[in-house]
Amino acid sequence: MELENIYYNKHEYVETASGNKVCRQTVLCGSQNIILQGKVIIQADAIIRGDLANVKTGRYCIISKEAVLRPPYKKFSKGVAFFPLSIGDNVFIGEKTLINAAQIGSYVHIGKNCVIGRRCILRDCCVIEDNSVLAPETVVPPFSRYGGSPAAKPAK
Amino acid sequence: MSKNSIKIFPGAIVCEEAKLRGDITVGSGTIIHPCATIVAEAGPIIIGEQCLIEEQAKIVHRLPLDQQNKENTPVLIIGSHNVFEVGCTVEALKIGNNNVFEAKCFVGNKVTVTNGCTFGTGCVVTDEQILKENVSIFGAKCHMRESLDKPAPQTLQMETLVKLLPNYHHIRKPNCKH
Amino acid sequence: MSYITGPEVVSYACTCGLIKPLPKLYFCRHCSQIRCSFCVCSEVDSIFCGKCSENIPSAEATMKKNRCANCLICPSCQQELSTRIASKGPANPTDAKSPIKKTYYLSCYFCRWNSRDVGIPDQPSATGGWPQRDNVHSHRLQDVVDSYKQIMLSQKHKKEHDKKKKIGKFVSYTDRTGVTASALRKKIGIPDTPHALLKKPKMPEPAVASNDVDELPEHLITTPLNLMDITTVEQRLLQPESQPLTVDKLFPVRKQLSIKKSLRCRCCERNVSKPEFNPSSVKFKIQLFAYFHIPEVRIVSLSPLVEGVPSELILKFTNPTQHQTTITLLNLDLAEQENYVKELTVSEVAECLEHSLSLQSKQPGSLTSISVGSGSQPSSLLSLTPRQPSITVKPRKIEQHVNCDVEMPEGAFVLPPRDDAAEYDESSDVHNVEHDPKHVVWRKSNKAFIKLLVVPNANLQANQDVVCGFSMEHIYTNILVATMENKQPQKSHHRVRIFFNLGKITRE
Repeated sequence: MELENIYYNKHEYVETASGNKVCRQTVLCGSQNIILQGKVIIQADAIIRGDLANVKTGRYCIISKEAVLRPPYKKFSKGVAFFPLSIGDNVFIGEKTLINAAQIGSYVHIGKNCVIGRRCILRDCCVIEDNSVLAPETVVPPFSRYGGSPAAKPAK
Repeated sequence: MSKNSIKIFPGAIVCEEAKLRGDITVGSGTIIHPCATIVAEAGPIIIGEQCLIEEQAKIVHRLPLDQQNKENTPVLIIGSHNVFEVGCTVEALKIGNNNVFEAKCFVGNKVTVTNGCTFGTGCVVTDEQILKENVSIFGAKCHMRESLDKPAPQTLQMETLVKLLPNYHHIRKPNCKH
Repeated sequence: MSYITGPEVVSYACTCGLIKPLPKLYFCRHCSQIRCSFCVCSEVDSIFCGKCSENIPSAEATMKKNRCANCLICPSCQQELSTRIASKGPANPTDAKSPIKKTYYLSCYFCRWNSRDVGIPDQPSATGGWPQRDNVHSHRLQDVVDSYKQIMLSQKHKKEHDKKKKIGKFVSYTDRTGVTASALRKKIGIPDTPHALLKKPKMPEPAVASNDVDELPEHLITTPLNLMDITTVEQRLLQPESQPLTVDKLFPVRKQLSIKKSLRCRCCERNVSKPEFNPSSVKFKIQLFAYFHIPEVRIVSLSPLVEGVPSELILKFTNPTQHQTTITLLNLDLAEQENYVKELTVSEVAECLEHSLSLQSKQPGSLTSISVGSGSQPSSLLSLTPRQPSITVKPRKIEQHVNCDVEMPEGAFVLPPRDDAAEYDESSDVHNVEHDPKHVVWRKSNKAFIKLLVVPNANLQANQDVVCGFSMEHIYTNILVATMENKQPQKSHHRVRIFFNLGKITRE
């Protein structure tokens, strides 16, 4: 398939020491709680809610435009606590996707316009297709391809 | 055209980064996250108490085409204890209490929402209808189901947010005294 | 990523004739041939539950009909159910200090179904204990299954018994005198109980079809229909035993288990892919994917296609192995593949005819039937043929029409080996390759851009897909064979046919 080079405007992006490229138009709440491991690209209008809980990304992730990374909350009898969101390496998150998951493994491909439900756990090497909705607290096993709303394993 | 007049009751937390335009009244205890959009184009919006409006939610008061140029301006009334999750778009003119609008749902302006309804993730509801109470709409094909009781209120989450949000965001000062 | 989302532009032809993109192909190191998922045997390696991520032994899985014991699925949206706590008041109503009794109920987050809707009482324990619906027909089904099992057993015993009988050297008493065992028993006075094997298994009563049908109840016509109370067809068929009509009879269903499978080459019966046992691990014990052995070809750019006019096509070749390869591009020879397929079928038919003829000559009296394919062979011939695999896959003709010519560049080009450390080493842009042929446009470590001229056929129409192809020959260094026989790794020329879907012709 084609190998495209997508050129970005250098002035729009801030590049950190470890190679993270963050667009200036992103909304990073609580940036002290957001940890980007290295060589992560965050495109315009993405929203990362570090103010609710820690958000930790692995290396080589791509967070596309208007994606929302939001740590999930867990209801206890005494109150609600926001859980940290950890994302593995080499994860691709498509445009306009809402991530409410508790944990995303490595080498995951998430399409655009998806909604990953609250406290979902996505294991390594899974694919979530475009426009799919994952119900809260689903566990996606490795090498599976989920799609649709509600998300189910599509037949090969 | 319409000047921004935003009345915020005490106890409400409205983040500075939320986009509010038009004549909006925010009840006490309501929390509006940053990057939420509330546009009162065609008339005032009244938001009740203890509502939760998350980021990328759009509450738009837009008149349907056949009703423009009328003398009386209709008001978009939202009841109390409603939850508007991330990315939902709501244009309904009348919303009751205890409803939940989940992520990325779309509710058109011909729908009348009563109490206790749940709009599932990604549902698109546009037909003209009055929804029954305690109804859940879910799935890509918008199946409808009747529940036994209304969805659980999010008071616990709201309490945590009330303590958490002021630490990281600028909050608009309440200007109404009641 | 383009292999996940994008269309299949570059496809390789497998040895069996099917055309697949490179990530879907496997490479058998012993046969040195490409295999695809069609010409590979799959076996179940391990069974696990997607939600609990636990391995389940296969015996237990078959007993539970491949469903997890702990995890349940919501009947209305088929998503996973979670247990929630509903705490009631103190256990002992009179004593306010006793610990609060916790009861659990099942709830679905997606459609807000919960077990209380159906009337299942809250359970005191968090795991298990959820009542299962009794199948109304289960007894009948069990009876029928049991009786058939008995028939099977008795037939099996009979066969074994017959075999043993044939080996016996002596003529039996019954055959000599005509007195059966039961007659003897009666004579002597021992009670006559028939042999266990001779007992006929009892069949359950056959089902009786009845002509009486219940009258159509009036309320179906008179009362208005409430759509929210009726189950959809999918919800109904999820529980085929009960198939409830109304929503308040939908019971939760146990979650289905998933498998991990290992793949085996059909020719040499060696594993091509074997995953690890742990369900959450993504590594493989044996991993022979074609992506790591065969050079990968990708399209970089293509000038607009006009019929009859040559367009420039730039391809990127990547060498995934740790050894240097030399790539030669040759003309796609589909005719050769067709002939190969025809030869194989002809030779197979010839073999079978030979076998059947020789069979006839050796056993003139017995009736034989000509069987095509690897049928049963008499023991005398078995020693002659080499170890035959269980099922052979006959190669088929490649079903891809090429409507575009490619001008083959002359000469081969070299691709240096893949160097994993090159990423961190900044000075490694040294091109060691001298005398590069002129169609090599750009190089970087183990990648090279090659420029080709492509001429679509003159008689193509505007909305037809243009497909071109060529045969790529590369030198494959087989490390495996080296360790066994000689110290030097064996180099072999390996040819693979590649097809490109270049898109549609643009109008002038």
